[in-house]
Amino acid sequence: MSVNKITPTLVAAAVATVLAAGIAQAANDKSAAGTAKAAPPALAPLGEAPIPPDNKTTPEKVELGKMLFFDPRVGGDASTGCSTCHEPDQGWAWAEDFSRGYPGTVHWRNSQSIINSAYFPRQFWAGSASSNEKQAKAAAKGGVAGNGEDDIMEARMAVIPEYRKRFKDVFGTEWPLIDDVWLAISAFERTMNTTGEYEVPLDKYLKGDKSVLDEQQVRGMELFNGKAGCINCHNGSLTTDLDYHNIGIPPNKRWEEDGLAQVTFRFEQYAKGQTEEGYRSAKSDWGFYYRSKNKWDRGKFRTAPLRYIEYTAPYMHNGVFYTLEEVVDFYNAGGFDEEGRTTLFPENKSKLIKPLGLSDEEKEDLVAFLGTFSGPEITMEKPKQPPYAPLFTKAELEAAQEAK
Amino acid sequence: MVVRVTTGRAILAATLGLGLAAAVQAADNPDIGPLPQLDIDKAKAELGKRLFFDKRLSGDAAISCADCHVPAKGYASEKALSPGYPGNGHFRNASSLVNVAHRKVWNWDGRIGTNLNDMTREMLTEDYIMNMDMRVMQERVKQDPVYVKMFKDAGYGEPSNGSVRKAIPEYLKTLTSKGSAFDAGKMSDSAKKGKDIFEGKAGCFQCHNGPLLSDGQPHNTGVPENFDVFMDPMNHQAFIAFTMFQGIPNYMNLKRDPGYYNITLMNEDMGKFITPSLRELKYSSPYMHNGMIATLADVVEFYNNGGGKDSNKSDKLKPLGLNDQEKKDLIAFLEALSGDELSGSEYVWDQPFPAKYEAIENWTQVRN
Repeated sequence: MSVNKITPTLVAAAVATVLAAGIAQAANDKSAAGTAKAAPPALAPLGEAPIPPDNKTTPEKVELGKMLFFDPRVGGDASTGCSTCHEPDQGWAWAEDFSRGYPGTVHWRNSQSIINSAYFPRQFWAGSASSNEKQAKAAAKGGVAGNGEDDIMEARMAVIPEYRKRFKDVFGTEWPLIDDVWLAISAFERTMNTTGEYEVPLDKYLKGDKSVLDEQQVRGMELFNGKAGCINCHNGSLTTDLDYHNIGIPPNKRWEEDGLAQVTFRFEQYAKGQTEEGYRSAKSDWGFYYRSKNKWDRGKFRTAPLRYIEYTAPYMHNGVFYTLEEVVDFYNAGGFDEEGRTTLFPENKSKLIKPLGLSDEEKEDLVAFLGTFSGPEITMEKPKQPPYAPLFTKAELEAAQEAK
Repeated sequence: MVVRVTTGRAILAATLGLGLAAAVQAADNPDIGPLPQLDIDKAKAELGKRLFFDKRLSGDAAISCADCHVPAKGYASEKALSPGYPGNGHFRNASSLVNVAHRKVWNWDGRIGTNLNDMTREMLTEDYIMNMDMRVMQERVKQDPVYVKMFKDAGYGEPSNGSVRKAIPEYLKTLTSKGSAFDAGKMSDSAKKGKDIFEGKAGCFQCHNGPLLSDGQPHNTGVPENFDVFMDPMNHQAFIAFTMFQGIPNYMNLKRDPGYYNITLMNEDMGKFITPSLRELKYSSPYMHNGMIATLADVVEFYNNGGGKDSNKSDKLKPLGLNDQEKKDLIAFLEALSGDELSGSEYVWDQPFPAKYEAIENWTQVRN
């Protein structure tokens, strides 16, 4: 089974990034899930976010990372930064099926929330980045995302006096370095979790406060853990098995109707290293295949975490469902949407996805339970952008001219 | 060539005396003359023209080649410093593209010495210029049915990055000077006198020679720095990105444009720039690599004073002692090197571009 083939590679790659704490948790979850027919790990409260030893969190680094997260100059034409597609008011994601893209483009996948991203050993829908740091870099540079180049982004930091000072304080360098931008942004992101005052009702319940869930939600939880089978993949403390599954999501119809989306669709096939035949024939996102190049991985995506989902619609890698009701209907139908559409790779569809036979009341119960995965909305005042200023004085330039 | 001319001059000066040296040395330089005709593939050039004027060929689809290479300004930048890509500025003046296909070396610092195909790639992909991911570009072009037909008609088949980089140079070949008084042999008496001064007393011909009036070599003439490169952080960030990428030592503290030093990293090449062509000066002001000189009269004055101040300055430059009439004649000659404006639909794509990308019909059934 593909899971068994992938696991060692995943663990090895992730360990190499020294995300030791996150890995320990992932590996534990995984070994439990990997045991044939063993019960999946039960839902558990979210713990502390792991902090990688090579990017320790300090208040100064987090503050700098916050400024950079909201600064559109970390991108190609100074219009598109992290928060452009991870907008606080839109669940720290983007509330359209496809994320908005760099000006002149649109993206081709749904923007994922940064909330709780600290917990995941890999980022992106197909897990192509092995850390927050690598995700931030890839997103800032991607042709339909930030489209920034290292040189110009690093150069911009140098002509912003406040950044020069802050990078020097935090990283000890004379000039800001672009790789430290990703470290700072990641340190900020690792503080953006559903912990403390933002703890979700489910976690309070799982920690023992049984008063938090009402009867309907408890019924929904039983369905989640039983008849509906959600727990098979959405399990453990992270509400995801961190594995890749084809659950039958149909292609987004926008690709049939929107020329700009078609441009990006082909670009992605090209950029992700498709074969010529793959480039010519692909009509959906092949997901984990782009990493593994195994045909049985076509249409697989990482199990999405469920916390904070109240704020992060639409759902799925291509945003085809705008409500949790639609999501539940989709699973209840065995991985078909209301028009009967499903993945273009039915041969890869998970055997776990089959008609569930939920009644309308059961579906409502399940949706009510999904509501317990979200607590208070996490909002934040956007920091002011520190201004540009010349590096040299006119007198310095005149002296240099004189010395030529 | 620089070395050869210098050596020749030394020997001649020794044997024949200084009085004759200038004239003989002039004879040693390639003649100013009409530019050779170029074979142009019309379909490819027409395609290249559309691409040249298409804003979709920049990363954020906001600028085209023509935003810095302005047709009415001799396909040069009207601003001292080119606008650059949105989000940053620039640190040099965009050169005229008229006769660009006749050059052997490109960019003010001469960093491209291969062909216009490479030059096109450089301009499209550099982050401070057009910041185009060429994979995105290819798919944008493929989405436009007009391009699909034009690429096919031009014999390129399916639109691709490679053919974009061939078609734009084909169009650039059409931007060749025509109709100048000099080429037509219809110069005024003043301009004729100016030519004699150009080749003689003023010594311009030492570097501005051959049909392009450029030796294609780097020289330091002491043009003062344009402080706007450094005082405007938008320009300075482009300069930093460029010098960082090029591997210039100590780029963060650099307070001058290194020029040809970029190629050799030899101190003696600091501040050298490739001799620009003198054709079409009528349109392409301001002048010099950083647009520091606004008018031809100012340029002549600059050289009459022996150029600017720089310890690296070429020893070819000395105060010329031109009188007012000689300066006027010299300017008349320079003006006679400008021809017809390359305007109108023969040179400029003046049809509208589509406002959006049309969807490919029956998308699920056709191959990408």
